[in-house]
Amino acid sequence: MAMLADRRRMNAPPGGTSPPVFASLPEAKLTKPIRTRNPDEHRKIFLRTGVVPSASGSAYYEISPSNTPRQTLVPSSSSLKITCTVHGPRPLPRNAAFSSNLLLTTHVKFAPFATRQRRGYVRDSSERDLGVHLETALRGVVIGDRWPKSGCEVVITVLEGEEDGWWADAEEGGKAGSWGMMNVLAGCITVASAAIADAGVDCVDLVSGGVAALTAERNGEGVLDPCPSEHDIKAACVVGYLQSRDEVTEMWMKGDAGSGSEALIDNAVKAAVLTRTVLAEAVKEATEMKIGKTSEAAVETTNTGKGKTKDIQMTG
Amino acid sequence: MAPYTNIPLSPAELSYLHTSLAQDPPIRPDGRSPTQFRPLVAETDILPSANGSARICFADGTEAVVGVKAEVERTGRKGGLVRGKEDGEVEGEERGEDGWLDVSIEIPGTRDDDALPVFLAAMLTEALLADGELKGRLVIGRVWHWRLFVDILLLSQPLSYPLPLLSLTTHLALLSTRLPALISQKDEDPLFNDDWEASTHLFPRQPTTNEPETKPPITLLVMTVGTNILFDPSSDEIAVADAIVAISATEDSKDGGLKMVALRTVDPPSRLTSAGVPTQANTTAGGGLSAEETLKLREKDAGATVWRPPRGGVSRTVLGRMIKKVVEKGGVGEEVLEGLRGVKS
Repeated sequence: MAMLADRRRMNAPPGGTSPPVFASLPEAKLTKPIRTRNPDEHRKIFLRTGVVPSASGSAYYEISPSNTPRQTLVPSSSSLKITCTVHGPRPLPRNAAFSSNLLLTTHVKFAPFATRQRRGYVRDSSERDLGVHLETALRGVVIGDRWPKSGCEVVITVLEGEEDGWWADAEEGGKAGSWGMMNVLAGCITVASAAIADAGVDCVDLVSGGVAALTAERNGEGVLDPCPSEHDIKAACVVGYLQSRDEVTEMWMKGDAGSGSEALIDNAVKAAVLTRTVLAEAVKEATEMKIGKTSEAAVETTNTGKGKTKDIQMTG
Repeated sequence: MAPYTNIPLSPAELSYLHTSLAQDPPIRPDGRSPTQFRPLVAETDILPSANGSARICFADGTEAVVGVKAEVERTGRKGGLVRGKEDGEVEGEERGEDGWLDVSIEIPGTRDDDALPVFLAAMLTEALLADGELKGRLVIGRVWHWRLFVDILLLSQPLSYPLPLLSLTTHLALLSTRLPALISQKDEDPLFNDDWEASTHLFPRQPTTNEPETKPPITLLVMTVGTNILFDPSSDEIAVADAIVAISATEDSKDGGLKMVALRTVDPPSRLTSAGVPTQANTTAGGGLSAEETLKLREKDAGATVWRPPRGGVSRTVLGRMIKKVVEKGGVGEEVLEGLRGVKS
């Protein structure tokens, strides 16, 4: 597919540069990081809504980096950092055709510095693909027919992406399989859900993303939230899960799961349930803060303005 | 007509379609059974200048041509840590890379960076690469490898979701793909036999029966309406789908059955259709409800009397049933593969 070159900026050489090769010191013995968590344990998530004041809804998502001591300059595993802003719902432009539903558009972009190999400013096919996945996940939750003639944009910037494998693996520079994309998608679903809730768009439920994988080591055991650098992944599955309805709006599975596909889906749903606890807490916290702010503001007006008591009763 | 969807159906028509497809057994507009495919015309080896090619024409007039071209390329130095011997020699057999397979899709009326072709290309690519067998066959030696370009051309307008058409055509094209026979040593600069008769199939065949030993995966589109599962949906049926899933399956080398290699949910266009208005809430027909009552009516009705675009997703049990229907012994996947076996060049 012919990639459109960005002509407005100074671009990196089109042929690409080789990723750096590090000569290892003889005494430094590099070992592939090992999963220290239990197979059914998720990495810790930080999630906060309302981080961008100018957007109608926004959220920031981070997976805590591993705190194992580093022997090299290169971190042994990556951590995921995603921001999401929601613009809208706002009226469609005048020349747009009538739509009886909310038109949701999603836009996923990796920051150029997000991954080991630099990403350009123009979205490449894998980023577009993620955008389609995210749109599928969100379309099912948003109650579109309550917002006729309006559009809503979900813009996601991945500040730090998950790696597709251990960097020192010779195979395609640790890029084989592009498993990291699945973790990124799960993060995108969760953060977008929080931002949409922050923007106050009507939804049937909070959708949360979860990943699970079947690994080659330890007898093909299923793990939740796989960190691709720690595993040799055979198959992985992402779900966008609505817990209160027990439904899946988005599923993306790839790899050779064999007969274990059912168990893989169940594991991914388990991961999504774990993420949901964080998501619900973050949304609740933000709502409490908003309510607290309005009542605080109300209290302030009582103290200063004498004649405004009636107004306060209405707001409170 | 609902804009942004290209569905030329009114809410009443959508409701009628949905109800008839939700019956047990479902009544499809063209009278097919739930697992029956539309008739198709297929031929392979049609392009003389390609390594492999195929054409499929569905009964509704959609037609696709796939050409597979192979080029020899030098294997670049991969990133990562130099391990093993001094000269960067990697021990063990060489494994292929994902980047050696290049799938591009051209659909009339869409730009090549639109969501649809990108999504379709990604789906077909991940199914082909899932078991690592195909990319392993692209290895010539340590220094050289084949790069495979799969160019998919949809010749007609995409009347229904073109995924099954493109996938089946790609399947046939890859089955007919032949690579020139190598006459030099593995790690030398490659030299090939110019006799096309001596070329080898990309998917090797048994010398006696000329049947392929392994086959590329196929991707099937499966949709649900209520509890019913329908295969190969037409555009009208997709317009009322509760959920659409694309399932890729390939032959399992262990037991000869099928196994799933990829699955993706597809956003059904039914979510963008406009909802119908119940008679009580219709102001022109004399219904005079307040805004609050109208909202309550709309929410409580939930598609019972008039059409309402579906909300939410699909339950796990239904997904499990869909997967099973594709991969089980004597299931739809095997039936499709059996049908494609009959295609001769």
